[in-house]
Amino acid sequence: MKTMATGKGKWQLWGVCMVGAVVALSFIVEMCWGSFPVGIFRFPLNILVMALWMMLMAMMYRGRGHRVTRFLLSREATWLSLGMVAVIGITLGLQRKPASTAWPMVVSLLFVQSHLLLVVMRGWRNKGGVRWRFCLTHIGLLLALGAGYWGAADREQWRMPVHNFPSNEAFTMQGEPRRLPYTLELKDFAIEQAENGTPTHYEAQIMVDDERVTLRVNHPYARTLSEKIYLVSFSSSPQGERYAIVEIVSEPWQWLSAAGIILLIAGAMLLFIQGPRKGRIENPI
Amino acid sequence: MAWNIFPLWAGIVMLIAATAATWASIKKERSTVAIVTMLIAILGMGGFIAMLWATLGRPPMRTMGETRLWYSFFILVAGLFTYARWKYRWIMLFSTVLAGVFIIINIARPEIHDQTLMPALQSVWFVPHVSIYMFSYSLLGCATLLSVVALVRKSTDMDRAIERLLYAGLAFLTTGMLTGALWAKEAWGAYWSWDAKEAWAAATWALYLIAIHLAPSVMNTKRRGLYHTVILLGFVALQMCWYGINYLPSAATSVHSY
Repeated sequence: MKTMATGKGKWQLWGVCMVGAVVALSFIVEMCWGSFPVGIFRFPLNILVMALWMMLMAMMYRGRGHRVTRFLLSREATWLSLGMVAVIGITLGLQRKPASTAWPMVVSLLFVQSHLLLVVMRGWRNKGGVRWRFCLTHIGLLLALGAGYWGAADREQWRMPVHNFPSNEAFTMQGEPRRLPYTLELKDFAIEQAENGTPTHYEAQIMVDDERVTLRVNHPYARTLSEKIYLVSFSSSPQGERYAIVEIVSEPWQWLSAAGIILLIAGAMLLFIQGPRKGRIENPI
Repeated sequence: MAWNIFPLWAGIVMLIAATAATWASIKKERSTVAIVTMLIAILGMGGFIAMLWATLGRPPMRTMGETRLWYSFFILVAGLFTYARWKYRWIMLFSTVLAGVFIIINIARPEIHDQTLMPALQSVWFVPHVSIYMFSYSLLGCATLLSVVALVRKSTDMDRAIERLLYAGLAFLTTGMLTGALWAKEAWGAYWSWDAKEAWAAATWALYLIAIHLAPSVMNTKRRGLYHTVILLGFVALQMCWYGINYLPSAATSVHSY
């Protein structure tokens, strides 16, 4: 109650208003100039901007007497951050084509991450009995969120029809052709169908250069550490030739996402085992 | 074949559960008889799921009707757990009613015709993802029921139980969501793509997180109601995420429509 009583009112309200104003501004930018130019923020620019942002946060944390940092570290900022995620979820959940690169979304998620990073800086070694849980959940979320956010432009995705001859002609999701540094060739294809005609199982034997691999739904082939090949669908040409459609996804940041997700799952387990902090409800704060 | 006997089977199970719940609600002290009786009902429900699993030859988690079956099962488990742990004597009555609602929906609208399991769902993640989610939904369902009582009665008796349920429910909700993310990477190539279901899952998750982060500031103040209200909002979002989105236009482009 102490912080509530001493700081009652002004600066928290001021902070919420400022954030609100920035988000409102981002809506205007979105309407005038369209969505955030994600494509520009490829490696190494994204790393550079991320490093600058982290340095700024570290500096702000040093000067945490300042009201801006105090606001970013406040409970109000936590509620605001989570409220933003809820609003983003509901908004995107109502859209047919989720506009996940809209300016308000980009700005809001930067605020959420800033708050999260500062909270981690403050709490990672002085969180008493729940230190591990705090670290696992908050750092895990920060990694998972950060990898998706800062690594978005480095994620590439192509589609490719794979015929019974070697080819390296793939297409971006916008339909632009792109040559792969290796060839794919369809060797064999098996479909099992249920009585009503819906496929119950399909798999393709594909040559990746000289290596024979089996692709199934849910079982992609990891060509490199960052690139995976997925079996998406199958089709037939007018001549009756059957071919497979594969998707190639290159996501260099995926291991950071996976690390964040695993930390967060471990944190969730501690959340279940430890439960709420004792005495918090029985005794007045 | 298993579904043909479902109305009779579920009717008997619900009768046993209702007896246990009523017995618990009229007893001042924690009743072992009620606990054992409820356990029998839960075993009966579990037995039906096991039989369905065996006759279908695949995990019964494919259709909405099948997820409702799991929900009915887990909500009885969560209700029994809450009663045994915190002796809150009304909770089993509520959880039985909730289980009954979903059983009645299943009898009235059995979406059980499709026997096949599409390739996208043939994954090791399928069973953990769905069952963890259904279990978390049932824990959060119990937390919601207690929150409604807390709001109506303006009492603080249930707050400890609500917070425990919320923590456990959120832990499973988080795990369910993240097993989904790991699965999505294997199936579709992206951990997260703001698909309609994912978006509502994020909203649900964030709302429960607000409740948890709100607790220290409001629990012992006049604004306690805010905590319970956010839990209710979370449960509304959860319903949207589970089946509400099927009625939204955004479902048309969702990869989660089963």
